[in-house]
Amino acid sequence: MGEAHFRRGREDRVGNTKSVLLRILSFKISFTLVVFVALFLVFTIFTPGHIFVSSANLASLARLAPDLGIVALPVGMLMICGEFDVSVPSIIAMSSFVFVNLLGWGVPLAVTPFLTLLVGALMGLMNGILVVKTRIPSFIATLGTQLFWRGILYVTSQMMPIGLRSSLPSGSFFETLLIGNIGGVLPVQILWLVGIALVLGFLVHRHRFGNWIFTTGDNKTAARAMGINTDRVKTACYVVVGVVCSFMAMMQALRIESFAATQGIGMDLRAIASSVVGGVALTGGIGSIPGVFFGTLTIQIIENGLILMGAPVFGINAFIGAVVILFVILNVGIERLSLRAQAAASPAGKGNGQ
Amino acid sequence: MKRRTLLICVVLFLVLIPGMIFAQAKPGAGMYFRLCTHGGDDPFWAVVTKGMQDAAAELGCQADIDLVGGDVSALQKAFLTAVASKPDGIALVINDDNAYNKPVADAIAKGINVIGINNDHSKGAAGNARLAYIGQNEINAGYSIALRMFTVAKAKGINLANATVACAVEVPGANYGKVRTQGIQRAMDMFGITGKPDIIDAGGLEMTTVEQRITAYLVGHPKLTFLFGLGGICTDRLTASLKNANKKPGEIIAGGFDTAPGTIEGMKSGYVEASIDQQQYLQGYFAVYTLYLMKKYSFAPNIDTGGYLVDKNNIGTIQKLSAAHIR
Repeated sequence: MGEAHFRRGREDRVGNTKSVLLRILSFKISFTLVVFVALFLVFTIFTPGHIFVSSANLASLARLAPDLGIVALPVGMLMICGEFDVSVPSIIAMSSFVFVNLLGWGVPLAVTPFLTLLVGALMGLMNGILVVKTRIPSFIATLGTQLFWRGILYVTSQMMPIGLRSSLPSGSFFETLLIGNIGGVLPVQILWLVGIALVLGFLVHRHRFGNWIFTTGDNKTAARAMGINTDRVKTACYVVVGVVCSFMAMMQALRIESFAATQGIGMDLRAIASSVVGGVALTGGIGSIPGVFFGTLTIQIIENGLILMGAPVFGINAFIGAVVILFVILNVGIERLSLRAQAAASPAGKGNGQ
Repeated sequence: MKRRTLLICVVLFLVLIPGMIFAQAKPGAGMYFRLCTHGGDDPFWAVVTKGMQDAAAELGCQADIDLVGGDVSALQKAFLTAVASKPDGIALVINDDNAYNKPVADAIAKGINVIGINNDHSKGAAGNARLAYIGQNEINAGYSIALRMFTVAKAKGINLANATVACAVEVPGANYGKVRTQGIQRAMDMFGITGKPDIIDAGGLEMTTVEQRITAYLVGHPKLTFLFGLGGICTDRLTASLKNANKKPGEIIAGGFDTAPGTIEGMKSGYVEASIDQQQYLQGYFAVYTLYLMKKYSFAPNIDTGGYLVDKNNIGTIQKLSAAHIR
């Protein structure tokens, strides 16, 4: 009796540890966070002279990494909702074009940012309506709008860069607000990234709208049966993507001091990769804003750290690609284990075992 | 009624006949030329397009340009499509040593004149059957910018025997980067700088990615002596990257290609020593004129459009013409 009791007790303890571990790992962010911290330590220790944590390197990361991070956050939110947006590069380039031209035409600086954000919102709205009304797969629909807006941009801009300084002298309050430095050290861009992550995090994880996003992404039919207007939810997510991309476009235009037709190129897939690394499921319904936040930072410190360590010139993209694939495999594996553990731990499961 | 009919005829005569005479005065009327290029979002190609359009307007002919991006197979397909449309001549960017050899030879065999522009086979006419080449000699261009930068360094008393060189490129492996690097290597050998240039994969055309990667390289290589941007985007981002890495103007001698806004600002602020202007307007302009003259008189000139060194002393001219898409 004593031995059986001891054996059952030990089995219970092992089972509890396993299910606790799986519960922890089922929080998508936890795995990403562990990898992020591990990579941070690896690069800190192994880069020559520990330059990874030098002030120049950290300041440059804080200044430049937010561009992708700011774009990845709403893209990840949209993916949780079950849709994709690959028109992001065109929204960024078009918004920058509008922003720089409005300034060149003498539109007051107090008005220009809002008009630019409006352009992003309208482009997002167009994507949303196209996807929900036509039922075209979102990847294809937004690929179409990406090409469409890129073509419009070619015709209107002739692909020529437009300098900013003739219409906006440096040192304006708006410029300081978007890309200044606090205390001459901390780039404001990182604060914008954290701020947008907090706002979207609240929206997705603490607000009713977030419940609708998860339910829509998980099971659209069930969401509708529950009275959720899934079309409106998806459209709203697309509008958020458009607005946030326009915001990033203004930051970038101020930093590079011009409009460039190449702005945003490749950011669509990098934002999706960041979301996947952050634990967002490609099928929708699963993910977190903190996960996307750390997913973006993980990809960017991999890039940064490999260059600092002198990685072969053709190796960086291959390594990032391998990491993305690894994260997808691990996330799927952890999800399966977690579901099995939950099923085993349920009262029905226990009854079957005994 | 008769009077009205007579009036209409007179008006038509006065309008149409001078128009016909004027149209006949254009030597290239009725001809159609096509430029097949790997251009895309890079503003470089807007200037090439302007040159093409200006030449077409002067000659009275039609000209179109394909901008297919960096995919070699897409450009090959665009070229084959152009051949099928039977134009009076095609100008092709030969950005690969293999993909276009047979298609170009076949097109010429069918009686369609084909010239190379902007990029050429690494062996020139010996490697590809194109009838002429209009563009920058990329090896000479790389050599010119390196010569300038190494000369400046020598004048500053920098020990070139211990110097290190890095080249940032948007698309590692693309012909333009490889050939320009050969020119830089030639200058390195001449000045006694040992080794090969380090290639920085700048990650494509996206500005932030390019800036991030170049910055990371600079942070990781604090003793770097020379930094080249092998393309327009990389050169544009050199100044911002040097600032991010807390470098002072001239601390690392930097230079590159084309005259994007960031490059011009870099020259003004002293971060960028010089840049090579390909004079790409002439590539579009002379492409159309060459194809016209080739069709009419079988002329086949090779024209070197490039190697114009831009620095802080002559940026003013460049800036003025840049607004008109001429430079």
